[in-house]
Amino acid sequence: MAVQEHRLNFPLSEADARRLRAGDLVTLDGEIVVTAGMPTHERLLRCLDGDEPLPMQLQEASVMHLGSYSREADGRFEVLYINPTTSTRFNPFMPRLLRGFRWHAVGGKGGLDRASAEALQEVGGVYLSFLGGGCTLLSHAIEEVRQVGWSDMLTHYRLVRLKVKGLGPTTVGIDAQGRSLYDDEKAAAQARRAAIIAQMDAAR
Amino acid sequence: MGISQDTIKQVTAQLYDRSLRGIPKDTEAALRRADAAESNETARHTLRIMLQSAEAAQREQHFICSDAGVPVYFVKVGAQARFDGSVRQAITDGFAELVASIQPPLLPHVTHPLTLERGYQGKGMPIVTFDMVDDCDYVEITCSPKALGSGRWAALQIFSFPDLKTIETFVLDTVIQAGSQPCPPVVIGVGIGGTFDYAAKMAKEATLRPIGEKHPEKIVADMERRLVQAVNQTGFGPMGTGGDSTAMAVHVNYCAGHGFTPVAVAFNCWINRRTKARLYNDGRVETLE
Repeated sequence: MAVQEHRLNFPLSEADARRLRAGDLVTLDGEIVVTAGMPTHERLLRCLDGDEPLPMQLQEASVMHLGSYSREADGRFEVLYINPTTSTRFNPFMPRLLRGFRWHAVGGKGGLDRASAEALQEVGGVYLSFLGGGCTLLSHAIEEVRQVGWSDMLTHYRLVRLKVKGLGPTTVGIDAQGRSLYDDEKAAAQARRAAIIAQMDAAR
Repeated sequence: MGISQDTIKQVTAQLYDRSLRGIPKDTEAALRRADAAESNETARHTLRIMLQSAEAAQREQHFICSDAGVPVYFVKVGAQARFDGSVRQAITDGFAELVASIQPPLLPHVTHPLTLERGYQGKGMPIVTFDMVDDCDYVEITCSPKALGSGRWAALQIFSFPDLKTIETFVLDTVIQAGSQPCPPVVIGVGIGGTFDYAAKMAKEATLRPIGEKHPEKIVADMERRLVQAVNQTGFGPMGTGGDSTAMAVHVNYCAGHGFTPVAVAFNCWINRRTKARLYNDGRVETLE
């Protein structure tokens, strides 16, 4: 079956998210929010609990686990490069954040767990797999830094709203129907395990 | 004359810098072979973007990955090599100077394991191992910085008198456990035997062997062939979103030991960072990779 390629405007709408299928390719235009911070995720949960105000509007945003090198020069915040970081680190936070903020697109590399996939299905969201090692290509897509939240944190932990053009392509790793390529591949590998071992036995 | 501290400082810094901006030739060829053999269309797209990413980084002298990892050097010291100054200090100084001047700048990935403080320096950094080699008058230095994505999934288990099936099943299970996480298609190094620490060292060294170079002993070469086929049948594919290309190579090193047999498995991500140079007594520097 031919791969479906999409070029979509972000933050991704629920309607667009629900049309995507696992394995499709998506190139991003528009606005995304990036962070690579564990403390940032913890802090976002505190915001959801009402313990602290949000530093920026995040409802129905597209929040990506992209590490970045940034610097402040002449009062301007500049992002020199971006690249995905491992999303599974954020598994404990994602289901509540996805439901609380109704994020219709999240992304990074390595995928998210079943609980996150269920939350994505509920709110109508997708997980996008960025190329690990796509730093040069992905960084070309940065057009502008629109907003920076939590300047008291390390730069790559901050919430940074970026305007991007032609970011990607990314692969839909988890779709809004609840299908996760990561779960599928892991289950398939487990299911094949006995046959693979038998084949190694036969070849020995 | 001998190998000067300044030469070591400059060469080791350059090796690190270069390892971030390109992929080894054998790795590029292996990714192209994977693309030609891959049956999954999404996976082929991903493999092609990997090649484009490596090419763009090389052309623009930018980084392939934002995670520059921690600096790791393997130093083979010729028995006839002569040094003018401290080798360890030269490597440490080289890295410090690189951090201060490299463009674009590096993210501070060196992490204190107890306080989780991050920076560019830390106890024991850079990680350097020295091995003595007889009958040569040079020092050969390989740089292979290790990032979080692939570093996290290494594993080691100690068996008693394992048969080949037990060893190979452990490698397969380690790959299934790692799944999409280490940015496949990976290069897998396996170290069998010796002692706890030595097995891990052999596994890491096995990842540095050029792709396509088989182990000279048939029993090991056969094991490598079985394992690479097995790993590629798991179906994780490029970036773990499905496909036939999960490993570019599985390399096995072994050493005699006792009845306890450690088996270590190490992963290199698809970028397969590896640069290498030889520094001779007469001042010559030969870039090997």
